[in-house]
Amino acid sequence: MVRIKIPFGGLNTEQMDLLADLGEEYSDEIIHVTTRQDVQLHYLHIDDAVDLMRRLAAVGITTREACGNSVRNVTACPLSGVCHTESFDVTPYANAFAQFFLGHPDVQDFGRKFKSAFSGCKQEACGLTNMHDLGAIAVTRTIDGVEQRGFELYVGGGLGAVPHEAKLFDEFVTQEELLPVSQAIARVFARLGEKANRARARIKFLVAKLGIEEFKRLVAEERQTMPFDPRWTSYLDDLHGFDEEALKPGQALNGSDVAEGFAAWRETNVYPQRQPGYAVAAITLPLGDITSSQLRALSDVCGRYVKDTVRTTVEQNLVLRWVSESDLPALYSELDDLGLALPGASTIFDVTACPGTDTCKLGIASSRGLAGELRTRLAESAHTLDEGVKGLRIKISGCFNSCGQHHAADIGFYGVSRKINGITVPHFQVVIGGKWKENAGSFGLAVGAVPSKNIPLVVTRLTEAFVTQRQGDESFHAFIDRTGKRAIKEMLDDLTAVPTYEEDSSYYHDWGDTREFTIGDMGKGECAGEVVPLAQFELTACEREAFEAQILLDESEFEEAYSSAYWAMLHAAKALVKMQWLDVPEDEGVIVKEFTERFVETELFFDPFAKDKFARYLLRMHQTGTNGHSHDAAHRAVEETQLFIEAAYRCYDRVSTESAQATT
Amino acid sequence: MLRPREHGKRPGNDVTVMMETLQKIQVKIYLDEGSSVSTDDAFRIFNKWITDTTDEVLIDVADYSHLPAGPQTLLVGHESNYCLDNTDHRFGLLYARKQPLSGDPTACLKQAVGTALAACKRLEEAPELEGKVKFRGEEILFVVNDRLQTPNSDESAKALQPHLDALLGDLYQGAPVTAERDPDPKQRFNLRIHAQGAFDVTALLGHL
Repeated sequence: MVRIKIPFGGLNTEQMDLLADLGEEYSDEIIHVTTRQDVQLHYLHIDDAVDLMRRLAAVGITTREACGNSVRNVTACPLSGVCHTESFDVTPYANAFAQFFLGHPDVQDFGRKFKSAFSGCKQEACGLTNMHDLGAIAVTRTIDGVEQRGFELYVGGGLGAVPHEAKLFDEFVTQEELLPVSQAIARVFARLGEKANRARARIKFLVAKLGIEEFKRLVAEERQTMPFDPRWTSYLDDLHGFDEEALKPGQALNGSDVAEGFAAWRETNVYPQRQPGYAVAAITLPLGDITSSQLRALSDVCGRYVKDTVRTTVEQNLVLRWVSESDLPALYSELDDLGLALPGASTIFDVTACPGTDTCKLGIASSRGLAGELRTRLAESAHTLDEGVKGLRIKISGCFNSCGQHHAADIGFYGVSRKINGITVPHFQVVIGGKWKENAGSFGLAVGAVPSKNIPLVVTRLTEAFVTQRQGDESFHAFIDRTGKRAIKEMLDDLTAVPTYEEDSSYYHDWGDTREFTIGDMGKGECAGEVVPLAQFELTACEREAFEAQILLDESEFEEAYSSAYWAMLHAAKALVKMQWLDVPEDEGVIVKEFTERFVETELFFDPFAKDKFARYLLRMHQTGTNGHSHDAAHRAVEETQLFIEAAYRCYDRVSTESAQATT
Repeated sequence: MLRPREHGKRPGNDVTVMMETLQKIQVKIYLDEGSSVSTDDAFRIFNKWITDTTDEVLIDVADYSHLPAGPQTLLVGHESNYCLDNTDHRFGLLYARKQPLSGDPTACLKQAVGTALAACKRLEEAPELEGKVKFRGEEILFVVNDRLQTPNSDESAKALQPHLDALLGDLYQGAPVTAERDPDPKQRFNLRIHAQGAFDVTALLGHL
């Protein structure tokens, strides 16, 4: 796979033509738009990489730092410059940020990737700043009668296994200080961020560890030491260089005849611009995919209606900006001829999914297969769906790493597996309570794993409950909040049952895959860009379990919290044992025995100072059992579990390093 | 918008060079009217080919059935891809050679067509399809998947002509053939061959 950076999602027709060509010549004729406005091509040969990069460079595109531990693609609201609610157009700032940090020496020594996003306003979702390492929201203030532009700056947000909401770094960073302050943040992250343990290396862990006030103090201190760079402000002289022009005069719809389907498409896919007479038209891409033939033809269509004003979106679509409203019927007809006039952009039909098991080896279950199935089923019931339901968002990840942004969805899913009678069955954790608006204003939590086969029923049940039980104009988020996760979980309980293979073998197959389900081909992650060993992957899963134990504790479910914490710890021990014995069974007695013999008695699990302290947490909990525990015991169990997992990570790092050294 | 730099000079105008390096040949053979292969069946069959094929490395199967006019079910290999394809709104098997073939251009064309026909035969004989699927051998779409080396130009067509004539003479045993090309310079080099008469894939394989 090659990931191609598209800063702020901006594309011109020459670039679209080239991407179409590259899709045909080096990939599989599919151009995939990602949830961070990148483009991805799959199934490439490494031999073709040089030609591919040279041809991309010829149209002003780079793949540099699209992956790896650096500043990834800089995303921005696709409506920037034409939006009704923005403070100002963030496009030139996002572009300046992207160009400034591209290859910058201060961003070459991160322990992990760094994602940044720009949003024109606070209330909408477009920038998703709350879930980024660095998020900038456009704001203005007036001083002595003069309006100043600046940014409300956030740091330390992120999804992944354990999501972190971004912390407010500064309510107003002036436009002149945007780049130097960001550079100072990068320098502090590079200097103090975790390097050895990549599961702890995102800036969110550094901010959490230091606290936002100390982090701010360090950044301010760093800012004072930095040598002046003229690029910090030189781009401000050319802010209007990114102003867009329309191809045609803006005219309102004139009542001319329209094709069948136009009204439905216009309702969901057309956004009237701030500029009278113009609109943004969204192209809904199923699963973010468009064929080379379609993209090339779309480029021709763009040339007839707009001037190089196309952008990718984080909802894996394309938008054409500056369409004269009077051209909308003709544009619709041309798009329809290309199979690109699907309605439902940014609605419940527009299901987002990461690549999942299709091409990512971290994927556990088929996120794209499930997304395709949900799209089909929802489209079949489109005419009967309640308006409140149509506006919901569904997002799916193939594993807990949240590349599909499931935490920020109204209804999210992430892939897991469960062993049923010795056979692995694909499941998805159901995540609810997320808020897409307000730049991903809050993150949802898992309420339980449901077999993949039953996930469409989960959607039906949740949406029907919303329609029948909501109070007045209550939003879905408010409905979930009022109903409570426990009641929601109970609502879905019967869907968690898995029949035996003999009763219904379809439960043992994933969506979009006729083969029997297996996780035997897991290994190297597509998005991680490097090998993630099995033990590390499983330890990350344990973190998730520990996180869920914390939630149970918050809900005063002490016994369940204690039990979840214990099992998280037990699975961490199992992950270590698997380094030596891959087929260790899911039997707590066996796991504890093997862990004790292989890691405690051998002193592999020893801390240099605390010795076997962390191992004793597990041994004690195994002896005492998980029943009858109070708040204090559950609280301590949750704390100890986190410490145990940390110790397991360190043990893993030590053992794998020693092993690598022994083989060289 | 990012301001694009000017295109660098591309190779590909020297037809002699092009014919010495004729590679990345694609061959599409269409399903007979009345025949159809579901994407589920193709997915199942192609996955079986991964384990059953010994003479080349086949890697993965991708499902793109959510894009009706495109590659539907794609078998990805190291040397070649095989695809149940509907890009031009007509279902067929698209064979796409990726690694270099050996021999002169005529030999390369012959190998590509031979492999494509063999794949069609394998599909026709797949037990899952119960003998209900037939391909029509009298129409073949050739694409050279390399705009840098083989642009879609009259010069390319002229250079390819003798090699194609040699291949088609053998393949169709002297039956009259016509060739059409979509001259759009944005497209890859392409030729659609129609032979007079009806030819099944088994017979055509026997001619090569």
